[in-house]
Amino acid sequence: MSAGEYISQQIINAISIGSLYALMAIGLSMVFGILRLINFAHGDLIMVGSYTTVLLLSGGIPFVWASLAGIAASTIMGLLMERLAYRPIRGAPDVAMLLTSFAVTIFLENLAIILFKATSRAFPVPPVLNTVVSFGNLQIASLNIISILLTIILLILLTLFVTKTETGISMRAASQDLVAARLMGINVNRVIAAAFAIGSFMAGVVGILWSAKVGKIDPLMGFNPVLKAFVASVIGGLGSIPSAVLGGYVLGALEILLQGLLPANVVPFRDALVFLILILLLLFRPNGILGSTEKEKI
Amino acid sequence: MRRDRSTAIVSLAAIGITFLVLWLLHSFGGYYIERIVIGIGINLILVISLNLANGFTGLFSLGHIGFMAIGAYASAILTLPLSLKSTNLPDLPVFLSKIQMPFLPAVLVGGLIAMVVALLIGLSLMRLTGPYISVATMGFLVIVQVVLTNWDSMTRGARTFAGVPEYTNVWNVWIWAILVLYIVWRIKFSSFGRKMMAARDNEIAARSLGINVMASRLLAFCISAFFTGVAGALWAHFITAFSPKSFYFSQTFSVVTMLVVGGLGSLSGSVVGVMLITILSEILRNAERGFSIGPLVIPEVYGASQVIMAVLFVLFIVFRPRGLFGDAELDVRRFFKKEKEVSG
Amino acid sequence: MKKTVLFLAAILVIFLVSCGGSGSKNIKLGMLYNMTGSQASLDGPSSNGAKLAAKEINAAGGVLGKQLELVSYDGKSDAETIGKAAAQLVEKDKVVAMFGFSDSDMVMAAAPIAAKAKIVFITSGATSPKLPSQVPDYLFLSCFGDNVQAAAAAEYSWNTLNAKSAYLLIDKGMEYTLLLGKYFQERFTELGGSVVLEDTYQTGDKDFSAQITKLKALKPAPDMLFISSGPDDIGTIVKQVRDAGITSPIFGGDGYDTPLLMEIAGKGANNVYYTTHSLMDKNAGSPEVQKFIAAYEAEYNTAPENAFAGLGYDTVYLLADAIKRANSADPKKIREALQTTKDLPGVTGSITFEPGSPIPQKGVAIIEIQDDALKLAAEVVPEKVPAP
Repeated sequence: MSAGEYISQQIINAISIGSLYALMAIGLSMVFGILRLINFAHGDLIMVGSYTTVLLLSGGIPFVWASLAGIAASTIMGLLMERLAYRPIRGAPDVAMLLTSFAVTIFLENLAIILFKATSRAFPVPPVLNTVVSFGNLQIASLNIISILLTIILLILLTLFVTKTETGISMRAASQDLVAARLMGINVNRVIAAAFAIGSFMAGVVGILWSAKVGKIDPLMGFNPVLKAFVASVIGGLGSIPSAVLGGYVLGALEILLQGLLPANVVPFRDALVFLILILLLLFRPNGILGSTEKEKI
Repeated sequence: MRRDRSTAIVSLAAIGITFLVLWLLHSFGGYYIERIVIGIGINLILVISLNLANGFTGLFSLGHIGFMAIGAYASAILTLPLSLKSTNLPDLPVFLSKIQMPFLPAVLVGGLIAMVVALLIGLSLMRLTGPYISVATMGFLVIVQVVLTNWDSMTRGARTFAGVPEYTNVWNVWIWAILVLYIVWRIKFSSFGRKMMAARDNEIAARSLGINVMASRLLAFCISAFFTGVAGALWAHFITAFSPKSFYFSQTFSVVTMLVVGGLGSLSGSVVGVMLITILSEILRNAERGFSIGPLVIPEVYGASQVIMAVLFVLFIVFRPRGLFGDAELDVRRFFKKEKEVSG
Repeated sequence: MKKTVLFLAAILVIFLVSCGGSGSKNIKLGMLYNMTGSQASLDGPSSNGAKLAAKEINAAGGVLGKQLELVSYDGKSDAETIGKAAAQLVEKDKVVAMFGFSDSDMVMAAAPIAAKAKIVFITSGATSPKLPSQVPDYLFLSCFGDNVQAAAAAEYSWNTLNAKSAYLLIDKGMEYTLLLGKYFQERFTELGGSVVLEDTYQTGDKDFSAQITKLKALKPAPDMLFISSGPDDIGTIVKQVRDAGITSPIFGGDGYDTPLLMEIAGKGANNVYYTTHSLMDKNAGSPEVQKFIAAYEAEYNTAPENAFAGLGYDTVYLLADAIKRANSADPKKIREALQTTKDLPGVTGSITFEPGSPIPQKGVAIIEIQDDALKLAAEVVPEKVPAP
């Protein structure tokens, strides 16, 4: 493998993992933009979607339908979460909301352990997601190509939604100023529900792609991705969609870069470096690498 | 003046009763109860010191368990018997490999190191506000975790750090707990404490009155880190074998829950929060093993206690978003009088 | 506020009432596993295995004419909870022996409490050979130490696979994987082999593309990959390594002993080798193993999830055997009898404790995956084992 090929291979790795982080970060960021809620339970939507898919697959349902149902299950769970846990406490202190999202996580994870046992299950991947495409010496998993294409399509759709539809425009207004938006006659409940639905839908898609990449699922599988998505959305600047996407790709690149370049005895400190960069960003560019230097924009 | 004296009498009486109860539990309760009592004591220190940082200043730190870890590892390394040091930690720097400290100095050093770290990170982090400080301190928690997991020569990395002398007992834990409660109580009702809370409630107004908001926040953060480090050290000498993963999100969540249930800014709330959560989770932990009420047999369902606690917590926040006490304090004298409408 | 205080008092009363003890004539064994939390995927199967063994023993008439009763609490992957549960087992349930856990942190949270009450604690899954010295006399392993299986892996790689160079990938997040990797490296380099690149990851990492790209850039390619990882990660790693087009032999420890490996990695699992306790295969395993797998499937509707299931199962038989030979359920006599266990057959190999050693002498099975099937490649006792 030549140096050029090595670099191209790492770039592809970065883009494909970055796409997943970006899709996750969108959901977190949209909800934060409107409610100032850091929704830790966002990761568990991945788990809900993947388990639904696996259960349907073992019932003999074809992969396409099972994964669509999984994505639907994530979306529904996201809406339920909003309706049952977050709507009743709207207006509570930020901390109480943050803790509620932790509680939702504990609830879902332990419920999953009770229902499905704690041990991992295989995620049967159809061959189309499981082949390797070769370009000379470069080998790219078909899954990576599909992840990248799917992310592009979803981002285009999302952009159309927030710029062309009434709900989308209301959503952007609400994330600028929730109170003013309400005064302007925007149905805040509907906007928030829509934000949850879109974020959860994206999480459902990530759930399928992530599980296909990892090959197995378990009740605690949502924790690591949500932590990453969280970092991504902060890097981008919490609260806006384009910056969440950018943050996802930057995080993907950063991780691959550090893992690939650092000397072996420093590599284990990779995550510490990532979080150090996160803290430095918060201190010097609190609105993210894209954000304006204006304070408290959101 | 009269009020001061009656406060002193009530406080002393409360301390007396506490130690009487502790003595009774210690003498007749058995080992299981003793472990619960020690656990409550350590959690009290953790929650009260977290309250000092989070409740009084309004800056919500999610990284305090990082200070707990620092205190625990520092004290464990300092007190580890020399014979174990040479086998378990062969790569320790020379100045550490030759010393074996007694309990109290080690605990104090553990707290001090946590405080120095808090000062270093606090100097920059105290500028942040709202959720940003939570995010940044959570970043600190992850960094501590990664460093502990990889600093093999000091912490054995991810491997179990065993052989820590078992020094912690009911008495030293509860003396620390009451000391911390007393100090934080004094801080809350001092002019410093009032300034801090003024800055929490309205930062701009506080600044315009000449309060140095940054300095008061930083001081609260450092004192809080010191006590958290002490609690970590006590925990280390209680559990005696641990690894970095003991100090991560689940521990953070458990302490923060106790704080929020009691009420941010209320010390009585912290005390009640710790006891309530501890006892409730003990009841549920024993109940989830299955039981029978007459003919009705409930089978074992592991995980049910966490599920129920989570639901109770969400319900609790719905009905009492500011916790049991808000930021008010329990006043025993008021309890015996005819109850007026007390908010919070 | 009055209401709040009364409510709290009511909670306290319920608690004190629920603390009452219970008596019974059965022989009580304390079983501690983490049924929830980060350790649950390892401990759950052990608990199932142990329960199955107790059920079989009781169906066959129990021990000394009494039934075995497994008293269990959920450790919740939390040291404080485990301490309390161990105290309850000693005090309230008055168990005569304890067993459990697959992780040394967890073992060390419970075993000293058992030792204080002069009760043995057997760990079914924590394989660190350094562990028993921390709790002298009362802590036993029912599995071999990591140094033994790592030495077996190194010797087999060198002698039979003719591997001269190895790539090493270690999970930095677990004591088990750290020790296994370290012992392998020690024995392999002692034999003359070289480790060309050592890389790491953290338990729970899901994307190994950066490590794999580094591995692919190695020239010449190493003869083999030694990947020290637990049962939850290994399937993913093998899958991603093979997806990247790397076909070299992959070697590892008993963390690989899970059907998930073949389910996740599919064809990619071919040319994988691992050291474990015995060949866990429904068709090719020994008669005891086949019987165990069938019974496990009948009870839990699934094949044993990983090696820990068999270890939990054997641990209960080990204790039952000790109680039988001691002819008493007295904790002191159980400990003495346990130390003299000799050639006790089990699904994870036969168990013998040499005098003074709390780690059993067990052979190491080397399993090879070829043509989508498990094969017993060799049963070995390593020539030289690195010091713990």
